[in-house]
Amino acid sequence: MSDYTKPLPVLTDENRPFWESCAAGRLSFQQCRDCEHLRYPISHICPECLSTDYSWMPVSGRGHVFSYVVFHKAYHPGFQGDLPYNVALVQLEEGPRMYGNVVDTPNDAVRIGDAVEAVFEEVTPEITIPRFRLVRKDGESKPIA
Amino acid sequence: MTGRSMRDRGAIVGVGATPQGKLPGSTALSLAVDAFKLALADSGLEKRQIDGLLTFSGQTAPEGQQNYLRLGETLGINPRWTGTMYMGGSTAGALVQQAVLAIEAGMATHVACVYGDAAATGGGVFNRAQGWGDSSAIWGFMSAAANSAITAARHMAVYGTTSQQLGEIAVACRYHASLNPAAVMRKPITIEDHQASRWVVEPLHLLDCCLVSDGGVCIIVSSAEHARDLKQPPVLISGMGQGYTTQILEREDWWYAPHQKVAVEVAYKMAGVGPQDIDVAQLYDNFTPSVLLWLEHGGFCEPGEAGAFVEGGRIRLGGDLPVNTAGGNLSESFMEGWLHIVEGVRQMRGQCGERQVAGAETCLVTGRGMTLNCANAMVLRKS
Repeated sequence: MSDYTKPLPVLTDENRPFWESCAAGRLSFQQCRDCEHLRYPISHICPECLSTDYSWMPVSGRGHVFSYVVFHKAYHPGFQGDLPYNVALVQLEEGPRMYGNVVDTPNDAVRIGDAVEAVFEEVTPEITIPRFRLVRKDGESKPIA
Repeated sequence: MTGRSMRDRGAIVGVGATPQGKLPGSTALSLAVDAFKLALADSGLEKRQIDGLLTFSGQTAPEGQQNYLRLGETLGINPRWTGTMYMGGSTAGALVQQAVLAIEAGMATHVACVYGDAAATGGGVFNRAQGWGDSSAIWGFMSAAANSAITAARHMAVYGTTSQQLGEIAVACRYHASLNPAAVMRKPITIEDHQASRWVVEPLHLLDCCLVSDGGVCIIVSSAEHARDLKQPPVLISGMGQGYTTQILEREDWWYAPHQKVAVEVAYKMAGVGPQDIDVAQLYDNFTPSVLLWLEHGGFCEPGEAGAFVEGGRIRLGGDLPVNTAGGNLSESFMEGWLHIVEGVRQMRGQCGERQVAGAETCLVTGRGMTLNCANAMVLRKS
């Protein structure tokens, strides 16, 4: 039983490896076996070369904040108690970009360009959601422009 | 590019817009029908002359993609050319452009492009996460506002654009709406009002956001030749362009909507004009950051300079480039960009009364829809 009330992914044969990897504490993405393009969002086919041959590749989980917004309005009742909450668009070192919440920091302490790394929160027995936290001062910060 | 030039081949010969705002008792269908009748009367055409019917099903038409059938049946039109397209705020321009092409190809003579929606009273669905597969809603990234907030935050970080500069756009649109008796929000606002309005998705305040409205709009397209013999001063479609980005996360500069630049440049080239020739512009404004991008992609200023460009009343009536002279999606009514085309036509006809841009002969009209994905542009010209 879970009292988690926010939207959850619907597991399919296609996305299950992504979420199993999160449960194991790593981000993994599909890598095309033909052109080596590392892709996200999850798809059965490579958008570069249209090959359907791929493997799941673990990545570092490191990246930087590409853009960043703070929600002051809940568009789903599950987020009402979190207001205001943030969502970052994170540019990962290996190429893909994904959305994620920056945790363990005040909303106004996050700047575009800040270095982040993935962290994992088990929200139900089946699902562990990747989020991000700021990398401390010794981490690399990417120039914005 | 190959192909025959469409410069000045098509014309907009009739426009109609219903009252806007909260209209209890109206439906998407009733509003579309009302708009059609208004546009037909405006054009002087008779119903039997309309042989093309292109529609946008919007948020609340229950028949969805079969909207063209429902509307055709209701209006008693058996068209030679028809269909429904769903591109959000880009649909209106895409349909008008499709109408020009169909007419030029001899597939239709007079095409009515029609839209009705009861999004305010009938339950609009602008609050969802967009896309498919693993939804960004998992992280709470939902709503149309969120995508524009991503753009605004990045524009601010890269170029130093400020919230006050976004406020200039909202203030200009509201000032124009104050001169438009048909606008929903007519009480003038100040930059201070903008700054004091509540956050929605930071860095966007409430006054950075468009309205949600009930209403209907119809635009009738004919050939330039036919237009000369009709009731209204012909407004020629001198240039048309479209651009799309289907990839979001895969595409580094998606937030900057580079396809908007493609759309405008194709339209300028077809029309044989540049930004210096534009007297008035109707730039799609679901949220204020959209106008920044259109100003930059339209060549009115360099990339990153639109924040400074909109200061000092430059986009207000009397300024160098009056923008959204009826009030736009922000203050006139949110009709998914359909009213931007209507206002462009009325400016070219000289029918805008107090808000008329004196001597205006060339107008840029743009539309953008879905998760920033779809864009189009048209250059309208006084005949």
